[in-house]
Amino acid sequence: MATFCIAHLYPDLMNLYGDRGNLICLQKRLQWYGHDCLVQPVNLSSEVDYSTFDMIFMGGGSDREQGLVYRDLLRRADQLWKQLDAGLPALFICGAYQLLGTHYESADGKQLKGLGFFNLCTRSEKERLIGNIVLACRINQQIITVVGFENHGGRTYLEDKSLEPFGMVLAGFGNNGEDGQEGVRYKNLIGTYLHGPLLPKNPAVADYFIHMMAARKGIEITGTLNDRLEDFAHQQIKRRILGS
Amino acid sequence: MQVIRRVMAIAAAKLLICLSRLFGYHGTDFPGRVARKIDPDILKKLGANVQEEIFIITGTNGKTTTTNMIARILEEKGYSFVHNRAGANMVTGITTAFIKESNLLGNRPYEYALLETDEANVPLLLKELTPRVVLITNFFRDQLDRYGELDRIISLIKDAVRNTDIELVLNADDPLVVHFQNDTGLHCWYYGFDDTDYDLFQGEESREGRFCAFCGEELQYERFHYAQLGKFNCPRCGSRNPRRNFTGHDLRMTPQIHFFVNNIEIHSPYLGFYNAYNILAAVAVAKLVGIQDEIVQRAIASYQPRAGRMEQFLIGDKKAIQILVKNPTGLNQTLAALNTDPASKSLFFALNDNAADGRDVSWIWDAQIENIAHPSAAIKGITCSGLRSGDAALRFKYAGFNEGIITVESDLEAGIKACLDMEAEVYYFLCTYTTLFASRKILSRLARKTTRPRPKYNLAQPAAGGE
Ligand SMILES: [Zn+2]
Repeated sequence: MATFCIAHLYPDLMNLYGDRGNLICLQKRLQWYGHDCLVQPVNLSSEVDYSTFDMIFMGGGSDREQGLVYRDLLRRADQLWKQLDAGLPALFICGAYQLLGTHYESADGKQLKGLGFFNLCTRSEKERLIGNIVLACRINQQIITVVGFENHGGRTYLEDKSLEPFGMVLAGFGNNGEDGQEGVRYKNLIGTYLHGPLLPKNPAVADYFIHMMAARKGIEITGTLNDRLEDFAHQQIKRRILGS
Repeated sequence: MQVIRRVMAIAAAKLLICLSRLFGYHGTDFPGRVARKIDPDILKKLGANVQEEIFIITGTNGKTTTTNMIARILEEKGYSFVHNRAGANMVTGITTAFIKESNLLGNRPYEYALLETDEANVPLLLKELTPRVVLITNFFRDQLDRYGELDRIISLIKDAVRNTDIELVLNADDPLVVHFQNDTGLHCWYYGFDDTDYDLFQGEESREGRFCAFCGEELQYERFHYAQLGKFNCPRCGSRNPRRNFTGHDLRMTPQIHFFVNNIEIHSPYLGFYNAYNILAAVAVAKLVGIQDEIVQRAIASYQPRAGRMEQFLIGDKKAIQILVKNPTGLNQTLAALNTDPASKSLFFALNDNAADGRDVSWIWDAQIENIAHPSAAIKGITCSGLRSGDAALRFKYAGFNEGIITVESDLEAGIKACLDMEAEVYYFLCTYTTLFASRKILSRLARKTTRPRPKYNLAQPAAGGE
């Protein structure tokens, strides 16, 4: 039995639309696989060493909160990037995903700088993109569907064409409602607009993170979990949206 | 001309109310809207027929139950009053309510008007009506309010009541309302609870209103009664709960509610701490009107829950309770009530994602389902139903319930029957808005079917289980 430690960045500020359900999901599944999982909250101006974590999670927040968080993250941006570039598993949802880019332009024209990890940018518009969404994603060399709910004013564009999106949109809007792309993927990092929360209904994505975390620890995850309810919930909404 | 216009407006609306009844709609908004088209001053005019007082009841949670309880008290006293029922709490629905109780000439007097309205509607309503009292039950931030919407509404209400003679009735335990007195200069009456045996010393995982309204510092809580309602103080500026005019004390939940309000003993068939707050608010208003203790006691004791508000059904010998849940706060309230009931339970949760329910079902992850995932909550089975039965089932599974006790039946009728098939002492039916009335219909039908005529002479027979 091993103990995994996941950093929850700014839980007080960045927790919209049930995003903490992703952490509940990872924690429970790790327990069911026979391991322990601690979730450590990281708040504004707390001192952290990202190299001590097995994974990073950050949810969405409002514009105001995103600004606060940006300034705080910037203090340790180099250290964070070093870990992500070395393959630290990470999940960034919605507002957190937008922060990874070069800049964010709010609906009233204000420019907010991003961390600049990726050459992507977000322009916000009044009309929000809201609704259920289904993606096709490549996870462990397999194309699978991923379901969720999106609710964002921002339109995100992967400016660097070599950037890989998290998935392609089968139904819904995705990054911008134009180019069919959703989210971003880099090494073991996923940035995405999918709330819902993402992981409980997409156990393949949850297990992808779990296997990556374990591999970095030199541990093998053995056995499989009974995903009867997870698969049912996934299919239920997929059928509703794709109609098959 | 003025009179003709008024009569035409009333006649048209009354006709529409009749027609909509005929076709089985609960004509609420439309007749009022038409009347306002014909005579834009209609609400102002009819409002002037209120002889005693107009009360406006608003707040995030509990306004319907509180308003209904006050209505029950006024009824018990024999007063005549206008009351807009739940679902008709926009200006148009309130206009309809006035017209319903009016005569054609629009000059029939009413003693009181009891108006429930959404927070955002208060400023609009105050343009046309002059209430004596505005009761604010509480302000809860739910997930949809995180873009500062609630703060905007609070300041709109403050602007609307400033420089009036309105008296405010406020929840002394809610840090989001205590600054109303300072900011408006109005006379405020406060109600709140003394220490209870149900208090928590640590808050639930949420950040609702935990910050001082005066200086922004994080508040320190001595105890939490319920969500952010509790005994608090600000370490920086020293602000704390205001002095109460109406104190709830010696609360017991068995799980029915028993407590005292300024030494008046109150019993209610309702459950849950949040309903104790609703009762306390209703009693406070009744005492401001000067209604005698006995009448208040009788009215509260006889007030039975309505659809979705812990309405009870007897199906054979099984006790079923139906509860409407629509947001994390409401669901947390319901879970807290379940926790005060020691009986073994079979739980039913119907989750839809139609527009009226909210298309986004992720709110169930913001509720603390974990709070009932322990053996002392005595939950024997969970049946998940509705269009998003799968999401509901996952929430319970990841809250820590054994998958073996979770059943998924997307069809409401099949789900309700599966829930009732479980062995338990009480059956709780939690329903989101668009599953509520369909489920209620099924429960009522099952209750009728299984209620045999009572034998005239009751021979002493062993209770159930003797077959
Ligand atoms: Zn203060």
